[in-house]
Amino acid sequence: MSALEIASKLLEAVRTSWQDAASMVIERERTLVKIWNGEAAVVQKWKTVDSYLRLGLDGRLVVLELSTSDPGKIADEAGSIWRIARRLEPSEIYSPLPQPTVQRMVGKAGDQGVKEFMEDPSPLVEEALDEVAREGGERASGTLSLELYRRGLATTAGFEGEEERTLLAFHLRAFAGEGSGHWSLGSTRLDRDGIREVGRRAGEIAIMSRKPADFSPGKFDVVLSPMVMGNLMNILALMSSALATMMGYSFLSKYKVGDAVGSQSFSLYDRPRDQELPGGALFDDEGVETVDKAIFEGGKLLTLLHNTATASRNGGKSTGNAGWVMPRAWNLDVLPGDVKEEEMAEILRNGIIIMNNWYTRLQNYVEGQFSTVSRDGALLVKDGEIVGNLGRVRLSTSLPRMLSSIEQLSRERSNILWWEVEIPTRSPFALIRGVNLTRPEV
Amino acid sequence: MLGLIDEGSRRGAAYVEVRYQADSGKAIMMRNGRVLSLSSFGGEGVGIRILLDGGIGFSSTNSLNKSSLREALERALSAARVAGRLKRRKTGMSDERVGKASYEALQKRRIDDLSVDLLVERARDAEKNARDALKEARLSVFAFSLSSHVQEKLLLTSDGAKIQSRIPRLYASINFVLEDSGRTLQRWREFGGSGGAELLDEWKIEEEMREEASNLEVVMLRGISPPNEKLDLVLGQEIVGLAMHESSGHPMEADRILGREAAQAGESFVKPERIGEKIGSALATVIDDPTIPGSMGFYLYDDEGIPARAKHLYREGVIWEPLMNREMAFMVGRKSNGSARAMNYASEPLVRMSNTYLEPGTMSFEELIEDIYFGLYVKSYMEWNIDDIRWNQRYVGLESYIIRNGEINEPVRNPVIEITTGDFYGKLVGKDKNLKFFPGTCGKGEPHQGIPVWFGGPNVRLRNVSVRALGD
Repeated sequence: MSALEIASKLLEAVRTSWQDAASMVIERERTLVKIWNGEAAVVQKWKTVDSYLRLGLDGRLVVLELSTSDPGKIADEAGSIWRIARRLEPSEIYSPLPQPTVQRMVGKAGDQGVKEFMEDPSPLVEEALDEVAREGGERASGTLSLELYRRGLATTAGFEGEEERTLLAFHLRAFAGEGSGHWSLGSTRLDRDGIREVGRRAGEIAIMSRKPADFSPGKFDVVLSPMVMGNLMNILALMSSALATMMGYSFLSKYKVGDAVGSQSFSLYDRPRDQELPGGALFDDEGVETVDKAIFEGGKLLTLLHNTATASRNGGKSTGNAGWVMPRAWNLDVLPGDVKEEEMAEILRNGIIIMNNWYTRLQNYVEGQFSTVSRDGALLVKDGEIVGNLGRVRLSTSLPRMLSSIEQLSRERSNILWWEVEIPTRSPFALIRGVNLTRPEV
Repeated sequence: MLGLIDEGSRRGAAYVEVRYQADSGKAIMMRNGRVLSLSSFGGEGVGIRILLDGGIGFSSTNSLNKSSLREALERALSAARVAGRLKRRKTGMSDERVGKASYEALQKRRIDDLSVDLLVERARDAEKNARDALKEARLSVFAFSLSSHVQEKLLLTSDGAKIQSRIPRLYASINFVLEDSGRTLQRWREFGGSGGAELLDEWKIEEEMREEASNLEVVMLRGISPPNEKLDLVLGQEIVGLAMHESSGHPMEADRILGREAAQAGESFVKPERIGEKIGSALATVIDDPTIPGSMGFYLYDDEGIPARAKHLYREGVIWEPLMNREMAFMVGRKSNGSARAMNYASEPLVRMSNTYLEPGTMSFEELIEDIYFGLYVKSYMEWNIDDIRWNQRYVGLESYIIRNGEINEPVRNPVIEITTGDFYGKLVGKDKNLKFFPGTCGKGEPHQGIPVWFGGPNVRLRNVSVRALGD
């Protein structure tokens, strides 16, 4: 039975008890190789069916997430929660499911190449590890994930949709002496050149970051790699969700659409229709046709991300980003600049290139204050030349300040997807002026 | 399930582990006293882990008919073969005495008996208390969510483990924002434990919210800039607990020490040869103990069938015993100490913490601060992070005060403490007897696994620590 057929069956099982309902079924087949010191730590294979229901009852909003495809179990759970739901008050984020503009959507964008390597992905891993070794890397760890994904959606408003996609996610961290380098790739297709590029980049950065350098904490001009930008753009995308602004999780609650938030160089798009980034969708979880859109353009906030309910609270229309409760981005795309990547150090002149980060934590979401820690190559640049690696330093600033201080962006961009970048993000390198860098005084 | 073990063994597997797990729960989300949504989550399935030809393979399915289970076994065998082929140095599982047991976490009052009306009422009371406690500031957001979760497992292994368990948990989180004249302050609090509906009473959320809102309003409106100098620092239990989790628990996970998590959660400043090395003062005794009744990280047998026990991660300042599962124990020629946990049926068991805490001292809080002429007390935090080897860490204080002449004095806004793990434990000169635990969800692995934990400790004193103000 297809994902849509299962979703339709689930919808039939619950539609009589609820005022409106949406039923989504996601089938996944996935193979993941976890690489440890250049070998497989474990190979994992999953085949799962997960079912999701969004149920409306006189303005009350109920969501079920069950790891099953059994209509009987879903109906039982829906019945049990109906008895609880009827005692609740209406929700301020409930809206009737939208009437579809297109009643049926079917898409098939799976890449046969991804499917072929799901049984045994070891040749792909070995190609990337060869690149690490060629660059001089001594060992490498990472993950290669190949996935076939089918999603079916049926709603009581009359929408039916089904799509099939493939996904490749790969990241590798290489080590050379005290140096390390990390790079990643997210793709809809089997991109063997991209896989080798991840190995090459990881090895290259590891070699580049072997030589230690010292610094005193203070304000620096920095270049952030697409890995770092990917992480920060993911956080910005979460804050761009209209619900985040309602719940105290976004500094954008202080801004209106049209306000200048970032520098004119900065534009961020949500691109569900992108053919390369693997987070895309033809329709959102309410059956609304997705569209590519600017969240920020030329530094101005152009839209928050909405589902039907958050949009109607603001007197507007869904942006095709449902999330039944929380609107969210599909794929992120930071527009490029016109500087060549290899010229970034020269333009920076004196400062620090941060190649990777993690553990970004907000001190205050409403102000956007955060800090994040570098983990692979914080490269000190003097007179346009990389002179050494500062190791693990902390970048501490606020998102509005950072966005308004973006001065240059590289022409080349990378498609990032890894542990700290869960929404696939295409990003350039970014040069940002006057950022606080700290580390403990020992 | 036994048939799967027999079949896996017959096909050459050196180890077969079959785990059935069922999770079910409900959650309510509220904002400013109004219900936004009600949700129900869960699922059941079987995860199969195989050791074959020196490689480990894992597969899972949530279709529980015979043919799907057989298919999952085939996938696990095939995955193990691929893993074995990619490995030059073959892996294995330590030889252990595994358990046969059935247990459950005690509920004094059934979680299922918690009515939604009661939950809504309690959340509204908490919000009202916070709002009423404010004199000048505005409570612009009070977001409240509460979830119940029941986790049932049946674990069988080819070397004889048979463990059945049932653990109910209750968890609440609150995010509130205070505003006044363009200033804002944000507080995130969590409450959690294993057990039943009685937990909701034990947490006293309503009282905690009244006190937090009142104190934090004063910090926001009257807080002075922190001193920019080295001074004696008193850290509250909440920060101490977090520090134990981040700078003791994580670096003492054997899979990090050996590099298995290098590309995800990172490695560790602890290397195998550093075990036994002194890292802190004699007060630095940190324990991880899954057997604490009522705790978030409660279990009596781990997900490889090994009996749970308390482990001293650091003992009187010495790096002592890393957290181990059977694969890591095999690699270093030791025994597992029962630290393997999996998030759900679709997750491989990994080396995880449970309830990690600094052993309390014997002093009172007053004794801890009485001889501090000029210092800083940081009771709670908002932001924190730590590097990937768990050495360079940072905490930004939320509720903080100057200590002057042995007494808590004026409030302080946003003090920043950046300190190394070595300095944290090396400068530990005092701790009181007031042990308190806090809940959290610990992230690790790929695909990412969130595991319920507690972390805690007493109030502590650190000597001569640098404090700074928050930058821009």
